[in-house]
Amino acid sequence: MWASASFVGVLIVIGLPLWWKTTEVFRVALPYDRINAFDTEAHYVTTRLTILACDEKTAADVADEIQKAFDSSDVIRLKIDKHILHPELQNVLNTVADEEEATEKVSEIINLDEPNTFYVVQRKPLNHHVWVGPERLAFFRDSGATSKLIDCLTKWIYQPSVLLGARSELADEARQVRFPSGSGYHIVLSVVHPKPHKLQVDFDAAEAVEDYVGTFVDKLSELHNFTLKSQWLYLLDFEFQARKVMDSSEVGYHYAVRQERLHSLLTKLEERAATHVSEQPTMNLALYVVPCEISPLYIYDQNDKKVESPVQAFMSPKWGGVVLCSPECGAGVYRPRSQLVMGTFVSQLRKLLGITEKVTIDGVHLVPLHSVSPRDWEVDTLLRIRTLEQVSSAERSLKSLAKLLGEISNIVINEDVGASITTAVTNIHDSSELMMAGELRGAHEKSRVAFLAAETAFMEPSLLALLYFPDDQKYAIYIPLFLPIMFPVILSLKNLVLWLKGASPKEKLD
Amino acid sequence: MIGGVPPPDPGGGYVSDQNSNNIPSPMDMDSTRPSRKRQIEHSHLAPRSLREVMSRFQVEELHLTLTEGQWRHKQWGYPVLDAAPGAELYAWFSPEVTNIDNQWKKLTSTLAGLFCASLNFIENQNTINPQMSLWPSGATEHLSNSSSYLRYASLPREIVCTENLTPWKKLLPCESSHGFSSLLNSRLIHNTNYHSVGVHVRKICANTACTETFIEIKQTVALVYDFKILNSINWSFKLLFGQGLLGGCPLASSSKIYIDITSNSTTHFKLTPPPNKIVESHRGGSEVTLAIYEIKPDTAMLNIAAKQGTNNRVILNIPPPLYFNRYVLGYGKEFGGIVTEIVNNYWAPIDIVLSENAPWWLPIQLSTLRINGKAKSKLVMGQYYSPGRSRQKPYHLELLLRLPPKSTTTVTIDFEFVFLKWQEYPPDANHGFYIGSALITANLPTAKNFTGLPIEGVTFDSIFNASKPWYPAVFRTNGAMVSLPTPDFSMPYNVICLACTVVALAFGPLHNICTKELVLKATGAPLGLRQKLINLFKKKQD
Repeated sequence: MWASASFVGVLIVIGLPLWWKTTEVFRVALPYDRINAFDTEAHYVTTRLTILACDEKTAADVADEIQKAFDSSDVIRLKIDKHILHPELQNVLNTVADEEEATEKVSEIINLDEPNTFYVVQRKPLNHHVWVGPERLAFFRDSGATSKLIDCLTKWIYQPSVLLGARSELADEARQVRFPSGSGYHIVLSVVHPKPHKLQVDFDAAEAVEDYVGTFVDKLSELHNFTLKSQWLYLLDFEFQARKVMDSSEVGYHYAVRQERLHSLLTKLEERAATHVSEQPTMNLALYVVPCEISPLYIYDQNDKKVESPVQAFMSPKWGGVVLCSPECGAGVYRPRSQLVMGTFVSQLRKLLGITEKVTIDGVHLVPLHSVSPRDWEVDTLLRIRTLEQVSSAERSLKSLAKLLGEISNIVINEDVGASITTAVTNIHDSSELMMAGELRGAHEKSRVAFLAAETAFMEPSLLALLYFPDDQKYAIYIPLFLPIMFPVILSLKNLVLWLKGASPKEKLD
Repeated sequence: MIGGVPPPDPGGGYVSDQNSNNIPSPMDMDSTRPSRKRQIEHSHLAPRSLREVMSRFQVEELHLTLTEGQWRHKQWGYPVLDAAPGAELYAWFSPEVTNIDNQWKKLTSTLAGLFCASLNFIENQNTINPQMSLWPSGATEHLSNSSSYLRYASLPREIVCTENLTPWKKLLPCESSHGFSSLLNSRLIHNTNYHSVGVHVRKICANTACTETFIEIKQTVALVYDFKILNSINWSFKLLFGQGLLGGCPLASSSKIYIDITSNSTTHFKLTPPPNKIVESHRGGSEVTLAIYEIKPDTAMLNIAAKQGTNNRVILNIPPPLYFNRYVLGYGKEFGGIVTEIVNNYWAPIDIVLSENAPWWLPIQLSTLRINGKAKSKLVMGQYYSPGRSRQKPYHLELLLRLPPKSTTTVTIDFEFVFLKWQEYPPDANHGFYIGSALITANLPTAKNFTGLPIEGVTFDSIFNASKPWYPAVFRTNGAMVSLPTPDFSMPYNVICLACTVVALAFGPLHNICTKELVLKATGAPLGLRQKLINLFKKKQD
């Protein structure tokens, strides 16, 4: 019986745990409790709004109204300060000729360059209810303009609906268009010239990119790294299936291409544009010089209506934009108007980067963009959106990873992956704290680190090292090894139990 | 460059009258025109994908060739640019790169994706950095000590096919829609004895002081057709490419086709249509007559054809001044040897560098090196040997040899066969293992049979009358194949099954003996049916 017991001891008591331990999948300890405690829906951004009014009552009224309007939103918290304008400044503001000058006067006293702030200043002689400039400043006429002011704060400046879309799991309209967050972007301008032997095109792509796109992205450099590139693609033929339409223009006709047809052009461009060679996401801008045979070319929408715009262009969400440029044929050399073309590209880039189109509000005047640079408060909005998006995305990645680890037992987590997960977790926490405190820049920086770390952890190929080891092969090895050995050992357990039971009363008798 | 002229039939003893034409007559292809652009980020004619690779990995110079078949130097003379069978890649990195091995790994993986080739299998264990045999041809910052920034690898097993040709064509500004590349019909050009596509990127000076550099991208094609497959000794574009040439690339500043017609004086053949120009070039003691066709974008369909005067004539093949052969010695699965025979056919000595590289699983020992059968030889002027390390580094031997005039030099080195781990065997391991080509760098004293471009040359017309004291050339010997001891791959599972059976068989009785007790039974007790049966058998045995 002792022999039987020792077999059981060696094989079951020592052997089984040893086998269990040695075939275990390697995983470093992960902060599961912190990952599971993530509450993505609870993140919010704090931002500072300062109201400067001529008298105390207006200031209090406006502040109350705005506070009330934003109370319902759990994604953004306003920290409203209200002050009374200094009588001297009040005087100046009421006498200067236009709002630009007034902005200058205000900026002499208040620092408008501080991110994540916004100033609402009363200026009585205003032609509109509200006037919004390119800097972090809006003028309003009187307390009667409060509703307009709230309208413009929600729709243009704070955009809680877009923030909500950035935080939630489902992408809203703006998120469907803009590029997902990344460490940086390549912006590539491709000049597509399908018939180089028929027409000469004179266009300095390199200069145009640096002038227009370069100036545009300079202001966004705190958000992303940008690399600007340009290339020429020749002889890229595309069948537009254009039809000739007679009209009253100078040449007497134009060609019409259906909007649905243009999606195939993207496929054609993608083949040649070499977007896959860079590791970072590429925003494609394509200037397509329409061949002379079908020039001038106009895009027709679904309802077969001509799209009336000075530049024929279209955009593909998360891919880029295309401008179709119809040359005047016969001139020999064609020079695309770079201001028009590049302006279109910049407006497409704005949307691709997440700056939404501003809907018009009655009685509110938005100063149109004079340069390609985005408005100061648009950059703030973008910072808020990206921070929230990156934190939520990082949390979701980690949560899914934790869930996957629970479901699939043979995923390996090595030290590197473990380290990136820990980095992501700490940075998510820091970023969330900073966000609530209103430290937007720091929050964005942390959120970016968290996002990238979470992505690397989730996409790490070493996770899958053992995933494809088939289970049937395991059984093929284990069964012949274990079955004939374990069978007699387990059967002997019965005898062993009987023996133990029988032995103990004997000893008592002695 | 496209080989427009078929070489002699390598299979039989018959040699056609075009033996001096057997180098593919290179055409000045639109792609050989350097694409010059100042800024890294912006490209015009140069493919952005390559620019991106060059700038991201800080590559100074890059040479990639994908080749199917073996170039036979003895019969065919010298190609414009030689290439090793399979895939061959070598690159010089910028001196700013700190971790070259790391960068090299990234470069090969990126190029693997770009060209759909298995270049990602290039690792440290099959990469060497040649000391004497390769020199940068472009304007590089490091003139001395360039070899430490150089990495060289070849994959002799790589099979080159259509999927490599398509990305290669995509690098051209005209792609395959216009110009010479429209001739490259993959059905016909893969039906050849030898075909090789290549991409060569180097930096060239933008001004005389060389303060700024341009990037030159050269794309090459070499094809050798077999008369047996063509079934005719006359050739035409229609026969070779299945179609005529419909104009050049509209973006090219010049497109030319060169056909070597030197042999026309001895054996007459007629070119139709007649060439635009016939140029005679005297270079280093060789005289070459070239017919030139200039192709314009609006040229009508062009079908260049050559018609031979007579059909059956035997012409003696005159081998080039330097040729070589390589083969594997030995029998059994223990020891073997690689033999490289180098023939100097010229009346003066020729200096060469022979660079042998053997994978780690084929350890070559320097002590077994014999030249013409002798361990010590006066022919060796210098040598470099870098021993390999198992699974980390290949064996690499470079010899600087002075070949005496009119002689054959045999370099022999022995190797041992190595057992691999079962996961290290490639698929179809019984096919055998390829050994990469050796590099032979020679300073040829004569330009006979030599068609390589001078180092400063950009287009093919730079060879005209380009006499030099010597002509540097890098050749690749033929590869070789060994069959390593290859196990039966179902063996591990068989072993497991067998071992388990044995363990199970042994364990049962062992367990029984240890745990069961023998109990005496009283005699006279009534026998059971079973005991009766057993007794019956026992009696029979007695």
